[in-house]
Amino acid sequence: MKKIIDKSQDYFSQILLGITLLLAIILLSSLSPHFFTWGNIRNILDQSALLVIMGVGMTLVICTAGIDLSIGAVVALSGVCMAVAMHSGIPVEIAILIGLTAGTLVGLMNGFIISAFNINPFIVTLGTMSVTRGIALIITAGIPIYGFGAAFSWLGKAFTWWGSGHIGPVNPPMLIGLGIALLGAIILNYTKLGSYALALGGNEEALHRSGIATKNYKVIIYGICGFTAALAGLVVTARLNTAEPLAGYMFELDAIAAVVLGGTDMKGGRGSISGTVIACLLLGVLRNGLTIMSIPSYYQQLAIGLIILIAVITSELRFRNTLSRSNA
Amino acid sequence: MSKGLSNGYIISLKNITKNYGNIRALQGVNLDIRLGEVLALVGDNGAGKSTLIKVLSGAINPDHGEIIVDNNVYGKLNPALAIKLGISTVYQDLGLVDTRNVAANLFLGREPVKFGFWLDKKLMAKKSGQLLKSLNVNILDPNRMVGQLSGGQRQGIAVARAINQGGQVIIFDEPTAAMGVNESRQILDLIKDLGQQGYAVIVVSHNLNHVLEISERICVMKQGNLVADLVTAETNPSEIAHYITGVQGFKNLQEISS
Amino acid sequence: MKFKRFYSLLIIMAMLVSVVGCGNGAANNGEPEDLPNQGEITNPKMLEMEEILTAQLQPLPETNTGDKIGVLVITLTNPFWVTLKEAYEAAGRELGIEVEVMAAPTENDTKSQLETLQAMIAKDYKALILSPIEPFNLVPGVLQANEKGTKVVNLGPGIDRQAVADIGGKLDGRIAVDFEEQGKLAAEYIVEKLGKDGGKVAIIEGIPGAGQSEGRTTGAKKVFENAANVELVSIQPANWDRNTAYNIATNLVQAHPDLKGIFSCNDVMALAAADALEAAGQRDGKIIFGVDYINEAAEAIKDGKLDGSIAYSSTVYAKAAILLALKTIQGHEIPEIVHSPLAVVTKENIAEYEGWK
Repeated sequence: MKKIIDKSQDYFSQILLGITLLLAIILLSSLSPHFFTWGNIRNILDQSALLVIMGVGMTLVICTAGIDLSIGAVVALSGVCMAVAMHSGIPVEIAILIGLTAGTLVGLMNGFIISAFNINPFIVTLGTMSVTRGIALIITAGIPIYGFGAAFSWLGKAFTWWGSGHIGPVNPPMLIGLGIALLGAIILNYTKLGSYALALGGNEEALHRSGIATKNYKVIIYGICGFTAALAGLVVTARLNTAEPLAGYMFELDAIAAVVLGGTDMKGGRGSISGTVIACLLLGVLRNGLTIMSIPSYYQQLAIGLIILIAVITSELRFRNTLSRSNA
Repeated sequence: MSKGLSNGYIISLKNITKNYGNIRALQGVNLDIRLGEVLALVGDNGAGKSTLIKVLSGAINPDHGEIIVDNNVYGKLNPALAIKLGISTVYQDLGLVDTRNVAANLFLGREPVKFGFWLDKKLMAKKSGQLLKSLNVNILDPNRMVGQLSGGQRQGIAVARAINQGGQVIIFDEPTAAMGVNESRQILDLIKDLGQQGYAVIVVSHNLNHVLEISERICVMKQGNLVADLVTAETNPSEIAHYITGVQGFKNLQEISS
Repeated sequence: MKFKRFYSLLIIMAMLVSVVGCGNGAANNGEPEDLPNQGEITNPKMLEMEEILTAQLQPLPETNTGDKIGVLVITLTNPFWVTLKEAYEAAGRELGIEVEVMAAPTENDTKSQLETLQAMIAKDYKALILSPIEPFNLVPGVLQANEKGTKVVNLGPGIDRQAVADIGGKLDGRIAVDFEEQGKLAAEYIVEKLGKDGGKVAIIEGIPGAGQSEGRTTGAKKVFENAANVELVSIQPANWDRNTAYNIATNLVQAHPDLKGIFSCNDVMALAAADALEAAGQRDGKIIFGVDYINEAAEAIKDGKLDGSIAYSSTVYAKAAILLALKTIQGHEIPEIVHSPLAVVTKENIAEYEGWK
């Protein structure tokens, strides 16, 4: 009874999520006239972009059966570094580069510690989360750094423009999110790095025995995750025109939730960027829609939690089903 | 590299020694490996077979000794170097990534790329099909996940990968363990074919019947030493059993193999 | 297999519908004709407060207009904001205004609060009353509201006016409690009780940088530093978190067994400090003071667990905010800032505050 597995099944999570997203949009549009307006859709896309940016890096990491708990703190650190750099007279472009570098370094450090000492990623990134947050607090003495317009008139304005300016009908964060998502999808599906990320999650030993330098690839993958978190830090800082040491609070959990909702397996080996993107949009639509429906925050948390649970259970049952069928 | 050493061997192991604390896993093993020959490595549990092939595949480093490949002398190998030197290992179970498809597994570590980074999936699928067909491994779709395949098919993929890695020396670690009669048959035929095609094949196995059927040469290990180097055609089960156990008069060989 | 797919899809949809259904129920509760008028103020202390406040809001705006006003508070996981939410809704019923109160999921989630605001702006509120988690997180939302023509009133924690002005936005009204005054009143009580002997005191802050926390800390700090014989030994941030405050209080008495007083920037942290000191067997002879006068604090003051709290009437406060919002909608001239009057509630005078809301 060995049939060729229908390849479209690989997209099961995405299709199910896509349908749910569509139904949620239809439902919310019919229930509130304020939901399906361009202004509100732009809000949702703008808000989801942040999650997409972080979700792409997190997807790669989770594909390797890893996790990165430090990204929320990296959001804060990279923002703070940019802010301090700008306030000390460094041009905006260089300041942004400094912030992105700081975040990427935290990511690379995660990857290095995890692979060099073979320590569980959960523990390592839990540690670096605290270290990173601590550094952000120390740099700022706990106080938000505000205002990049006054010090460097046009450069500063250019910076805040990155957060909430407009390019035609869209905002820069949306374009960054779209770009990162495309880049992530290419990496995951069409490069050795992505292929190895998925294989690492499936069977790390097999890669090692095939002569692949698994450690180097892990360092790069965590580095990418740090970079995307730093990019999210740029967006948050630019949007609020403020760098807060407590920014990015619990972002890691939002990102993990989106990635898992998108059908990526926490056990590694299976994952997709498109799933993550759809999941981010679904979460964005739900949070926004439930607010528009004036549903209290308690119920919003409940609803979003339940949807994540159902999605994960569905995906796991399906995956088991696929595997067990082959053994029959 | 296919020219081999001046003495006709492709690989020579000289005085390979490995200790794990007080346990002397290998005590100065010398072994020469020839192209076109199926060499069986037999011995009781803990005799040092696995350690020896791990040294060859670069998974562990010996304490002393030399590995001579193609007139170059190495004190130790690593998996990447071993593969580069043409030594590929077909592991019983650890070698494949269940969640990846056949093509990704076949090309693991040597994926073809375009423009320096873009995976050439089309080429991978095409070559995978050709390779599997040439080995008579019956897999309809190279896009299937390996986790969905049978044990025999998986073993076939592992062999195909060893060949795809450019291996001249292919090591099998218990290839027929945990396999049904039909699947074992496929694998044994495959191993014999490889020998005839000019590969150097090393088979570690407990099953003396299989060993006698497929090998040209049988090396027996005991307590970290190579105690016998026999030509299969000139030996018999009782002699092999004698070397393995050090006890004479074993009549039923299946007792040893079970 | 097919069944399973369909089934899981069905569950998700059913859940979405049920959640949305829930929400509709909640929204309906806000409609004035459904419920009796609960906004009537009877407590004499509260009437006194109301008079002081409405005096600042003359002339009063036209009410019973049925205008929709949206309120964004910090979080409904803190009893203070829950009480305020009820006060808003009660005031809405009394004044004949439709009021909807939303919140961020948790007290630290600055991004979600902004996102909630952005979703609210998409609706047809005439005015929004906002209480930000920190001075900058709602700034982009204020501009969006301005652009849509929705009036923006800032209640409580301040939205940074300069930051709003920098991006070309404006706040239409501001109503606040004078945080510095709160800290000052609490510290003055502690200093008075310590008498001429004085002693060591400490402050437990909220989130450093947050308006309430900074204001109350500054007010208390000034009083402590100027008092003879009073030594301010420590200022520690507990991020408004009960557990953190508990640990900090434990550490404080460990380090300073002779500590005489703790001022906490809110009641939740003050109660945690009281619990911690009780657990350490060091509660006696120490004064613990909070701010907000939440229900739990009122009970604790009666029981002697807490020495006192700084109160202002949420009922009056919320009502004043709605009146202020109506004034902005109706184009009245309004003062730059309206301050809520304060009351020091202690064991001695708590009887007068029976029924205080």
